Amino acid sequence: MRYDSITEAIGNTPLVRIDPSVHGLGNIDLYAKLEMLNPFGSVKDRPAWHMARPHLEEAAGGDGTVVELSSGNTAKALALLAGLHGLKFKSVTNRMRVPEIKELLLLLGAEIEELPGQSECLDPTDTDDPLTRFHQALSEPGSRYLHTDQYFNPRNVEAHAAGTGPEIVKDLDGQAPDWFIACVGTAGSSTGVAQVLREHDPQVRVLGLVADKSDFIPGIRTIDEVHQVGLFDPATYDSLASVTSQEAIDGMVTLIRRCGLLSGPTGGAAYQGAVRHLASVDAGLAGTGRRQSAVFIVCDRAESYLSYVRQRRPELLGRARRGPSVSSLTDSEIRAEARVIGVEDARRWTAEGDPRPLVVDLRGPHAYAALHIEGSVNIVDEMFEELVRTGLPFSRRTPVLLACPVGEKSLRYAALLTRMGHPDVRSLAGGIVAWRDAGAPLTRE
Amino acid sequence: MKDAPLYLRPRVDPPLASLLGDVPFLHSLVDVLGSPLNVLLPEVVAENAERFRSVYRRHHLVGRVYFAHKANRSSALVRRLAACDPAGVGIDVASLEELRHALSCGFTGDRVMATGPKDREFLWLAARVGATVNLDSVGELELLAQLVRTYGLGRVDVLARLSGFESDTGHGGAGTRVLSRRSRFGTPLAEADELWAALERHQDAVALTGLAYHLDTTGLEEKARALERCVLAMDECRARGLAPRVVDIGGGFGVGYVAEAGEWERWTTALSEAVLGARPSLTWRGHGYGLRNEGGTVRGAAALYPAHRPVAGPGYLDQLLSRTAPVLGRPPATLLLEHLNDLYVEPGRALVDQCGLSLARVLDVRPMDGDPTRHLVRLGMNAGDVSLEEHGVLVDPVLLPRGDSRDAAPDDGPVGVHLVGNLCLEADLITRRLVFLPRLPRAGDLLAFVNTAGYVSDFHAHHAQRQPVARTVAVTEEGGARHWCLDEDYWPLTHPQGVPS
Repeated sequence: MRYDSITEAIGNTPLVRIDPSVHGLGNIDLYAKLEMLNPFGSVKDRPAWHMARPHLEEAAGGDGTVVELSSGNTAKALALLAGLHGLKFKSVTNRMRVPEIKELLLLLGAEIEELPGQSECLDPTDTDDPLTRFHQALSEPGSRYLHTDQYFNPRNVEAHAAGTGPEIVKDLDGQAPDWFIACVGTAGSSTGVAQVLREHDPQVRVLGLVADKSDFIPGIRTIDEVHQVGLFDPATYDSLASVTSQEAIDGMVTLIRRCGLLSGPTGGAAYQGAVRHLASVDAGLAGTGRRQSAVFIVCDRAESYLSYVRQRRPELLGRARRGPSVSSLTDSEIRAEARVIGVEDARRWTAEGDPRPLVVDLRGPHAYAALHIEGSVNIVDEMFEELVRTGLPFSRRTPVLLACPVGEKSLRYAALLTRMGHPDVRSLAGGIVAWRDAGAPLTRE
Repeated sequence: MKDAPLYLRPRVDPPLASLLGDVPFLHSLVDVLGSPLNVLLPEVVAENAERFRSVYRRHHLVGRVYFAHKANRSSALVRRLAACDPAGVGIDVASLEELRHALSCGFTGDRVMATGPKDREFLWLAARVGATVNLDSVGELELLAQLVRTYGLGRVDVLARLSGFESDTGHGGAGTRVLSRRSRFGTPLAEADELWAALERHQDAVALTGLAYHLDTTGLEEKARALERCVLAMDECRARGLAPRVVDIGGGFGVGYVAEAGEWERWTTALSEAVLGARPSLTWRGHGYGLRNEGGTVRGAAALYPAHRPVAGPGYLDQLLSRTAPVLGRPPATLLLEHLNDLYVEPGRALVDQCGLSLARVLDVRPMDGDPTRHLVRLGMNAGDVSLEEHGVLVDPVLLPRGDSRDAAPDDGPVGVHLVGNLCLEADLITRRLVFLPRLPRAGDLLAFVNTAGYVSDFHAHHAQRQPVARTVAVTEEGGARHWCLDEDYWPLTHPQGVPS
C-alpha cells in the first residue's frame, strides 16, 4: 500500500477473534481490536493526530512547541507528529514510571518535564498545585505552546467516534457487539466507541476498567483519577470495575503466549477484565442457544514494558545467571577464602612489592577521578562482575589489590578470584575510606 | 442512605498500643493534669534513631542523625536523644531558644546543627559552643565571619545549603527535567561560584565541612537528583582546595498515620465523590480539602498529607539510598561511599513517630441541627492543641471510655461526629472531617489522638481566650511498672522515681 504520509496509515486496524479454547467462554465471541498496529504503535495515534492536526497545519515549520500531559503513548505519537511538522514536543507528567518509555520519548526528540512530588511539610492554604502553574504558563500572552489537552479535548473522543467505533461495526458485518470493554485513561476511546456502538444498538453494554487504587497500570487511571478527566462521563459505562497490575500481566502473557498478540499490559488488563466479567454472562447464556459478542482494545505492544514486568514478575524474564559470580558465594565462604590486607601493609606492598600488585579500584568513574590510589586502574564493580564471568581478567602471576569504598565488595571479589585460581589477590581492609582516614595519599585526576 | 463508616484508624505500634490499652492510667493522668494533655514515650525516640542508624550501617555509611527540634518542644525527647551515642545522634536547632534548650538538655555544641533563618545572637551562641552552622546564604556567611573575627570565636564548621537543583543543567545526561517546588532557603546552584569564593575568602573564620539540601517533597526522584548533584559539587569543592566530608540531605522521610491502605483509599475516593455531589459530604460544610467540582470534573489538588505511607521514615531513607541516581547511574549510598562522603539526615516527624499521643476530655455531645444521625462532640482542647488540619493530617482519634459507662447502652453503633474545640469561635474544629467512632462518646470519656509528637501536639498551641495549654508528661516503663513525670522533670536515668534504697 502506498502513502504520501505515515499519518494516512493511522486507523483501519484489524479485529481478531480470540480462540475460545484460550478464554473458555463457550457462548461468547471475543474480539481484540488491534490498536497496537497503528504506525506509532498505539491507540493514541488516532486522537493525537486528530487533536494535533489543526495546530500542526497552522504552525508547521514555525518555532512552536506541542505540549501535552502524557507519560506514554500520546506523548509518543505527538512527538513523532511534531517532528514530522518541524515542531518540538514537550511532555509534562508526574507519571513517568516506565523507564523504557522515558528513554524512547527522549529518542523521539521529546522534552520531558516531571512534576514535583507532594509536599512533605504540607501547607493546606497553598493552592498553587503544579498543574495550575502549567495551565497558567500555557495561557501567558505570547506563549508558543500548542496544547492538545487530551483529557478535555472533544477531538479525542471524535477520533474514535469517527474511526475506531465505525470500524468495529463494519468488521462485525454491520452489527454492534453486545459488549465493549475498555480501559479508562483519557476516556477518549471508550466514550467515542460507546457513542457509535449505542447509535447502532442501544442495548450495547459498556464495561470500563480502572486500575486498582494502590496499583499502577500504564494508560489506565484509578477510580479517583478518572474523576479528574474532563471527558469522563459515568453515564458512558454500564459498570466500572478495577483491575490489578498482576491481572494485567496475566492477560498480557495469555495474549502473547497463546494468541500471537504482542500486547502490552494495558491490552492485557482489558483482556483479563473482559474474561473475568464475561464469565458469569457466559454461564447465563449456557443452554439458551444464544450467542453474544464482545470487543476489547489492545492498546499497545509489549516491548516497552520489560522493566514493568521485571519489577512485578521477575520470574517471567528469569534470566539464568551464568559463569562465576559473587552472588554464588556465601558469607562464610567469603570469610574463609578472601585474603585481606590492612592499610599500612598495603602501602608497603604497593610501594615495595616485588612484583608490585596491580591495584584495581572498583568504584564508579566519577569517584575514581575525584580521588584514587596512585597507579590504580578503575574497573567499576558492574563491569568487573561481567569480566570475571568469562574468566580471570589478569594473569595469575600478577598480584592484585582490590579496593572499594569500605572493603566489602572487594572482599567478595577477592574470594571469587581466589576460587577461580588466582594465587595472590587481596582485599584492602576498610577500603578507600580507611586508606584516607589513615592519612595515606590519594591523588586527583 | 446508611454508609459503612469511613474510618481512618491510626497506625499504633506496640509501645504506644500498650499505653493506649491502659485506659484507667490515662484517665487518671487527665483527672490530675487536666485536658488537653500530651503524653510522650521518650524511649521510642531512641529506638527510632536506632532504626535510622541501622539504615546507615546497612549501607556502610557514617554520620549523624540530627533530630529536627522544631517538630516538638519537649525536653524529655531531647534529653533522651542527648543520651544516645554522641557519634550517631545530634540535634538540629532552628532558633536561639532551641539551641539553648538543646544545650541545657545535655547536647554538647559539637552535636548541634544550627539551621533556618538566624539572627546575630543565634549565630554567636552557635559559634561560641562549637555547633555546625548550616548556612542559608552568602549574606549569612558574611555575617558569621564578621562575628567570628569581631568576637574571637574560633573557626566555625559550616555546611552550605544548596537549592535550585531543578534548573541546573551543568551535569546533563539525565535527559529529563524534574521540576521542584522552589525553596526560599539555600543558595541556588547557579550562584554556587559566588558561595565557593566567599567560603575561600573567609577560610580563617569558617571551615566548610559539607553541603546540604532539604527539599519539601515526598518525591524520591527529586531527592535522588539533589543528592547526586551534591556529591558532584563536593568534588568541585575539593578540586578548589576546600575539604568538605559530609552531605546533609535534610529531612522529609515521612510518617504513616493511617494503619490500613484500604481505609485511606476508600476515604479519598469518597472525598472525590462527595465533591462531585455523588454522595453525602464527608466534611464540615462540604469542605473539599482543595478539590472542587467544575462541571462534573474534579479539579484542584487534595491538600492532604498522604496519611497512609507504605514506606516512611527509615524505610524511605533506605529506598532513597538504594535507587539508581539519574546521571551517574549508581545508587546514592554507593556514590556517597565511593566519593568518601559521610551522610547527615535531619528527620523531625519521622524520628518522633509513635512517640506520643494527645488526650482530650469529651465535654458535651449533642445531635446536629437538621441531621440527627450526626453529632457535635465538644472537647476540652482546641484546634491549636492538635493541629491536624494545619498539616493536612487525617486520622481518627481513639475513644477511651470512662470506666463506668463502658458497658452501658448495647444498641450503640458506629456514629459520625464533628469534633469541635473549646474556643468561642465558629472555625474551631479539631478536624473538618466527619469522624466515625465505634460508638457515640459521652461527656467524661477521653479521645486519644495518636502519634501527635511530630508537629501536631504543640506546634500551634496558643493561649487564645486564656484556655489552658496542654501539659506534657513523659511515660517510662520499668520492670513492668509504668511511671510518669512532667516533661520538664524527665531525665534519661533509670529509676525515675529515685533509686530504691
